Amino acid sequence: MFPRPIQTQPRAAQITYQALLPLALIMWLAPLIAVAIFSIKPDVDFTTGNYWGLPSSFEAATNYGKVFFASDMPRYMLNSFLITVPTVIGAVALSCMAGFALGVYRFKSNIWIFFMFVAGNFVPFQILMVPVRDLTLDLGLYNTKTGLVLFHIAFQTGFCTLFMRNFIRQLPFPLIEAARVEGVAEWRIFWYVVLPLMKPALAALAVLIFTFIWNDYFWAVVLTQGPESQPVTAGITSFNAQYRAAYHLMSAGSIVAAIPPVAMFFLMQKHFIAGLTLGAVK
Amino acid sequence: MRSMIKTSLAAFGLSAVMAGGAFAASHSLSGDLKIFLDTSNPAPRATMEAMIAEFQEMHPDLNVETTVIDREAYKTQIRNFLTAGAPDVATWYAANRMTPYVKAGLFEDVSDLWEDPEIAENLASTKGAMTIDGKQWGVPYTYYQWGVYYRKDIYDELGLSEPANWEELKANCQKILDSGRKCFTIGTKFLWTAGGWFDYINMRTHGFDFHMQLANGEVKWTDDRVRETFAKWRELIDMGGYIDNHQTYSWQESLPFLVNGEAAAILKGNFAVAPLREAGLDDSKLDFYQFPPITEGVELAEDAPTDTFHIPANAENKEAARAFLKFVVSSNVQTQINNGENLGQLPVNAMSSVDDDKFLNEGFTMLSQNSPGGVAQFFDRDFPAEMAAEAMQGFQEFMVFPDNLDDILARLDKVQERVYGN
Repeated sequence: MFPRPIQTQPRAAQITYQALLPLALIMWLAPLIAVAIFSIKPDVDFTTGNYWGLPSSFEAATNYGKVFFASDMPRYMLNSFLITVPTVIGAVALSCMAGFALGVYRFKSNIWIFFMFVAGNFVPFQILMVPVRDLTLDLGLYNTKTGLVLFHIAFQTGFCTLFMRNFIRQLPFPLIEAARVEGVAEWRIFWYVVLPLMKPALAALAVLIFTFIWNDYFWAVVLTQGPESQPVTAGITSFNAQYRAAYHLMSAGSIVAAIPPVAMFFLMQKHFIAGLTLGAVK
Repeated sequence: MRSMIKTSLAAFGLSAVMAGGAFAASHSLSGDLKIFLDTSNPAPRATMEAMIAEFQEMHPDLNVETTVIDREAYKTQIRNFLTAGAPDVATWYAANRMTPYVKAGLFEDVSDLWEDPEIAENLASTKGAMTIDGKQWGVPYTYYQWGVYYRKDIYDELGLSEPANWEELKANCQKILDSGRKCFTIGTKFLWTAGGWFDYINMRTHGFDFHMQLANGEVKWTDDRVRETFAKWRELIDMGGYIDNHQTYSWQESLPFLVNGEAAAILKGNFAVAPLREAGLDDSKLDFYQFPPITEGVELAEDAPTDTFHIPANAENKEAARAFLKFVVSSNVQTQINNGENLGQLPVNAMSSVDDDKFLNEGFTMLSQNSPGGVAQFFDRDFPAEMAAEAMQGFQEFMVFPDNLDDILARLDKVQERVYGN
């Protein structure tokens, strides 16, 4: 059952494939299509039960206008950037250094330290909820963007270090040895030899972490409250009113919130796929 | 865009009216006043912000900070912020919903405010809902009625009139069913809607006091009187009075049945009126009646959920907070914030006037004149949270599989023992 090119299949199979492909695609995309359609519908369509039909009036300008000008969405978006960008920089910087140390130096507890980073990835993050909340409270970081950033950096560094260490291990070691023979200081080796070689890994990891953090909802809800610190994923729920859910505004808000990671994906597509497979084969 | 303009106009009008109000005399307050609101919907939010801006203007030395939190998120976050980083004023709900925070000592006792005759007399109708252990723990700022909202045009077409008792309600229902429609639409996906039905059938069958005994765990769920309530309910279920598959709809998703004429009525709070009107049901098509009596001689009691302001025990500026609570319940502010352009609900102050709205007027008359039995808060506010969650799950199951009643009641008894046991 290896996938064989569809061109080599019999004609009947080709026709079935061509007929089913769009169908499967539409079914798979149905929720996204629904959100897109909902975002240009007026509120009244949800009360009259017009979920899938044509909008009774096109309200794209009104809905998106409300999202941008009559809600806290711009603030939430800004928060998301202020949380995501420092996290990406922090996690990648730390893991580069940790990865370098674990990948290049041979010392006694090397493998155990490395295992600790790996093991951190196996901890289900939900069980950290209560202790982390208490910790941020005690540190006075509860309901601040800094608190969220610090936690994300700490938690993401585990995965990032695994990724970076494996990447550095694959680099030709003679390069480093050659530099040492020349008498280059260790930090210069890191900066001028290893770091330039890591550029593809840096890009891939940055894209990956950006989408992880941008899409985080759990910690946003646990560690922050209110528009002064919450990122956009948590902010979308503010369209839920006292009695009614404003489906049309939530849809429009979701689309807006999804733009940065989607844009990131398309702009950096090459790195993204590289990132998914980079650590896979050693 | 229209509603935005309306909202801002309303907000403007609100501040204009209150600027001329009688509050200029109060002495100056200073420091910070942190207010947490769960009124995240644009219209109530604008109302609240305008009201707070007015309060700020009266007390220029006071630095008022307002934080609006999404209503659902607020329900979980309140546990956090009452213990850590408490505001000076916070919104919440009356009756049993405030019990956990009162018992944990997180709300401030504000009985002193209620001793003021202006509050004691004018807010008498909601005092019971704010009282735990003989003390008051906050003030209400708005409430609204529950009842049956029905399609007047369908009733007229079938020659039906508003039912005066349970038999008439069932007779109406049979005629509606014969015309190929359903009597009642309901969406029980999120359970609470079924709690409204239980509230009314139970209060109409056995009265307000019995309902509260059940809420306080003094009556078992397997009690024969509770079974009678369910037997009444089952009469409607067995005749097919409710829409099919109601367990898959949210309450908003149950509205299209009413709008499209597939169902004739809905038992709901007054908040259903706004979306129904938007969907084209004007006052000639939509009407309201009080849930009819079931057992003769049982005094009528109503559900009227009340939203409240509280002072957290950990608040820092309690003096300013008390002044704010007084300001909120004063009759002018009550008239303004509850009018049709703002909250569109009922004022809690008896001296306030009600907006000229058909449904608000009917509700105000009903609650002030035709609810001798008492005013309940709604199932999930009167019953302890854990009990309510299990019970509403049971109601939904009962509505789909009425034969499971024995199982359900036995289960609820166990939950009752656990919840009230300690």
